[in-house]
Amino acid sequence: MAEPLSPAASHDEHDHKPHGWRRWVYATNHKDIGTMYLIFACTMFFIGGFMAMLIRLELFKPGLQFFDPQFFNSMTTMHALIMIFGAVMPAWTGLANWMVPMQVGAPDMALPRLNNFSFWILPFAFTLLLSSLFVPGGAPAGGWTMYPPLVLQTGASFPMLVFSIHLMGASSILGAINIVVTIMNMRAPGMTLLRMPLFVWTWLITAYLLIAVMPVLAGAVTMLLTDHFFGTTFFTAAGGGDPVMFQHIFWFFGHPEVYILILPAFGIVSEVIPTFSRKPLFGYEAMVYAVASIAFLSFIVWAHHMFTVGMPLAAQLFFMLSTMLIAVPTGVKVFNWTATMWKGSLSFEPPMLFALAFLFLFSIGGFSGLMLAMVPADYQYQDTYFVVAHFHYVLVPGSIFGIMAGVYYWLPKWTGHMYDLKLATWHFWLSAIFVNVLFFPQHFLGLAGMPRRIPDYAVQFTDWNMVSSIGGFGFGLAQLLFPYIIWKCVRSGARVGNKAWEGAHGLEWELPSPPPFHSWTTPPSDSVIARGAAH
Amino acid sequence: MQPHLTSVPAAAPLEARRRRRVRRSALLFALIAAAFYFAFIVMTLVRGWK
Repeated sequence: MAEPLSPAASHDEHDHKPHGWRRWVYATNHKDIGTMYLIFACTMFFIGGFMAMLIRLELFKPGLQFFDPQFFNSMTTMHALIMIFGAVMPAWTGLANWMVPMQVGAPDMALPRLNNFSFWILPFAFTLLLSSLFVPGGAPAGGWTMYPPLVLQTGASFPMLVFSIHLMGASSILGAINIVVTIMNMRAPGMTLLRMPLFVWTWLITAYLLIAVMPVLAGAVTMLLTDHFFGTTFFTAAGGGDPVMFQHIFWFFGHPEVYILILPAFGIVSEVIPTFSRKPLFGYEAMVYAVASIAFLSFIVWAHHMFTVGMPLAAQLFFMLSTMLIAVPTGVKVFNWTATMWKGSLSFEPPMLFALAFLFLFSIGGFSGLMLAMVPADYQYQDTYFVVAHFHYVLVPGSIFGIMAGVYYWLPKWTGHMYDLKLATWHFWLSAIFVNVLFFPQHFLGLAGMPRRIPDYAVQFTDWNMVSSIGGFGFGLAQLLFPYIIWKCVRSGARVGNKAWEGAHGLEWELPSPPPFHSWTTPPSDSVIARGAAH
Repeated sequence: MQPHLTSVPAAAPLEARRRRRVRRSALLFALIAAAFYFAFIVMTLVRGWK
């Protein structure tokens, strides 16, 4: 039997469960901080989603209906910034906070106070960003990519944009450092690297990506700031600077950022599919190497976002081929998920439904990504709705469905209650149908030549824009079910045991549901770890 | 089996070693992040001088 800890031993002064507002403001417990991240991400998801509804409302018919073009461009810019930095990234960090310590058999994150600080930076960053809507000149409208010289024309909101990005970056870097340090130093004895669950592996690799690329974005926006206010000309052609250099730096951050948004979803799908197939994951080690390969390749493909700015033929060939190479490890993963299901005893609870939809729909985003990787084709698709369709297929049925799968998978563990499976299944089907009604027609619009980031369009694009907007409203309304399902689960869901899902494996399922405030104060035994690592 | 964090005397050096390792690796990663930040600014600066 493992030796229990003395009361003074577990976590110095925060070994008891605090109450009231202090529990949240001074939180150092990984579960509380994880909950705060998830609530924050959900709030931002609805704010960013509301902006998306306004965009689709304006695009429902040709002509300017409701907003002036400046406000429309502010909405596209803010929607992207909020969804990427406010919804998806904090949701992943929330899931990591909840699950990584429990999955590696650690009592908490390695640096709990830093964890608190990482979270509490975020509300300030987004209050700053959102309050830019109310300053003279309006919110930033130059696109989330912030290309100079356009972005340097932003009004009073420009320093707010730059400072909020610095804050978001600091939060992400500190969070990532905490996760890497936790995984490398806090694993239970016997939890070797190749026994770790795939979600932990994908987060470890994601955290390395974050540490490498978030400072690059911070550096780029610092240079924009000095160009704007201090007379430097890093990116100002008139002073000898190079605006294209900004694009290179931005996308050196931006492409790995795409994988930061998607790799943890790979981890969740790799947890969910084996559970509901009642089979071990096929090719565990190949999956780990595939994720690492994707992360490595993400550093050498950035210029495929900017083929049309002009670059030497050799560079075009290099970036085209290296981008296509990503299809190989991605193909390994899709093959392994499919092989895991092969001859499995499948059941289709909501997490599995979201994981399966991820598999099909993310692959559609991957295929259109391959089309965009081809230089001659990209010259046609550049800046059209085809690109919008592509990255939304990656980020909505990819990242967002991955988050949904994760929340529906672990919600019974977190709360100790089962949620309304029927309602969650409705949530899935409405989301899956409307996400396709929303984004699939955008492929047609892009191929027909409709440019992105415009509030008005030629009349021949009307029909598919109407369909897309109807899909958008349907998808947006369907998401209202999500907080209701969670609220209902917490209030009145049926009690569940340690193992909410029959086929689940992993250390988190060895703990009671909900897990105690301090879990794994005594590390799990080797046999428990071996039972959990059934891959 | 050994507890993660303990005041049991035998495990104290282990725990102290772990805390040192945590601090050291956190600082190392913070330095790496800072290096990326400054390196990209310096690189753009150097490129502008050419």
